[in-house]
Amino acid sequence: MLNIKRKISQIVFLFILGEFSFYGIFRCPFAVPYTECGSCPVVQCPGKKLWLSFWIILPISLLLFGRGFCSWACPGGLFSDLLSKVSLFKGKIKGKADKILSSIRYLVLLASITFIFLLNNPRWAIPIRTGEFYNSIKLTFEHANTFWLIRTVCIIIGFSLVLIIPHFWCRYLCPTGGLLEALKKISIFKYITTDQCNQCDKCRKVCSVETRPGEINCTNCGDCSNSCTVNAITLKKRY
Amino acid sequence: MKNKKDIINRRSFIKASGIALTGTLASPLMVTAAGFKNESLQAWSCGGLAEAFIPASREYELKTGCKIAYTGAFAAALGKSLFGSATTEVFAPRVLELAQKLKKAGKMLSFQPLCFTKYVLLMPKGNPAEIESIEDMAKTGVRVIMTPNASAPGGKASLIILQKAGVFKQAKKNAVMMGDCVQTAMADLIKGKGDVAVMEQRLTRIPSFRDKTEQIDIPEKFIPGKPVPFSIGMMKWAKNKELAEDFIKFILSEKGQSYFEKAGFIPARSEEGERLTHKYGVIDA
Repeated sequence: MLNIKRKISQIVFLFILGEFSFYGIFRCPFAVPYTECGSCPVVQCPGKKLWLSFWIILPISLLLFGRGFCSWACPGGLFSDLLSKVSLFKGKIKGKADKILSSIRYLVLLASITFIFLLNNPRWAIPIRTGEFYNSIKLTFEHANTFWLIRTVCIIIGFSLVLIIPHFWCRYLCPTGGLLEALKKISIFKYITTDQCNQCDKCRKVCSVETRPGEINCTNCGDCSNSCTVNAITLKKRY
Repeated sequence: MKNKKDIINRRSFIKASGIALTGTLASPLMVTAAGFKNESLQAWSCGGLAEAFIPASREYELKTGCKIAYTGAFAAALGKSLFGSATTEVFAPRVLELAQKLKKAGKMLSFQPLCFTKYVLLMPKGNPAEIESIEDMAKTGVRVIMTPNASAPGGKASLIILQKAGVFKQAKKNAVMMGDCVQTAMADLIKGKGDVAVMEQRLTRIPSFRDKTEQIDIPEKFIPGKPVPFSIGMMKWAKNKELAEDFIKFILSEKGQSYFEKAGFIPARSEEGERLTHKYGVIDA
């Protein structure tokens, strides 16, 4: 039931944020997308209306549900959820390797913060202010500088790697996910395992992110809540 | 018999005349209201004109039932694409030279003056630094916002204005921001992060910036001519030349031009626009 609710939530948020997410990757002229929307020349981008609400709702969601945004609202999360079902190496990356790869996103986060706050988030592409769908993307690529092309190609490759390792982008590269991961300890609600846990790892097997409740990369999706044979998974209220 | 034939002829004449008259009267309406229904036209323009082109194109779509596939972006970039493999049917570039080059290359069939931009001094609401003229940008303590790295019309042109006004060096010393985007600079100016900037008037008409600044005109002698005029022309790729022509005609009509005035431009079809057309020689020779 929770899983169905989550899918409905993801679809609703896909309608709200899907186009904005798309514009951020393919049309946003800035080094770090989703952050300069108020003064961005791309008039077609829905981010002009959404970005402020987005950056207000995100910390609230962090405070309530930790990385819940990733599994319940992020269109990238939905995309990864779907493609992770056909990933080639399911359950192969775990333990130390998982932790080492997870640290990459903190480097991406650090780079993003540097660009935003120290380098005034430079514009790396000529903004196609308005235009047809494919034509505008084509023109953006045509008139972007090398940095923008590297940034965009990295994002595309990062997302494509989900076909090899489940949730590759969300687990190892997403800077927003990294920020939420680093701060998720402050969340009011979170899934945890109780002392009854017998380490059977059944929860990890049902988890599309390949983790366990409360552990690294747990996005509070709740998919594992009914998988535990000893009822050791519970939604804990912190305060 | 002869009389009957005459009557028939008279009847036929009246009938034929009626049909012809109806056809004559109806034909312009049919062309504009139904003749282009379900057709589409690709129109590109300098990105700065987007605030005018978007509503103008929508109005034309409602009027004719055709679809205008509009793209607005930095004109020099679009021009570069057009000199490559890209195509469009109508193009409204900034800088007269671009229209002339496209025409010389046989890519643009003809062009006409469309509108002119206006460079002004912009200050945050209340004008805290009490700016009265461009010379005040050189005064000690005045926080200047500059965008030298923005695309040429916003970047280079504003620097030339400061140079021509003889305040460039001091204004540069006073600069608190050297940005690469005029819209970001506008947002900072409105927030009060600076006291003054040389900008295009069009920026003050963008919804998020409307009524949030104060402006002072810059003497025309300081304004470089190159980025001021915009033109509009039919490209060789226009599939339906009548449609392209009709769209251009609409854009240059009183109604079409009103959108450019609302967006902060000086319409070519105005007294001031005609003076500037003559001054900058925006003529398809």
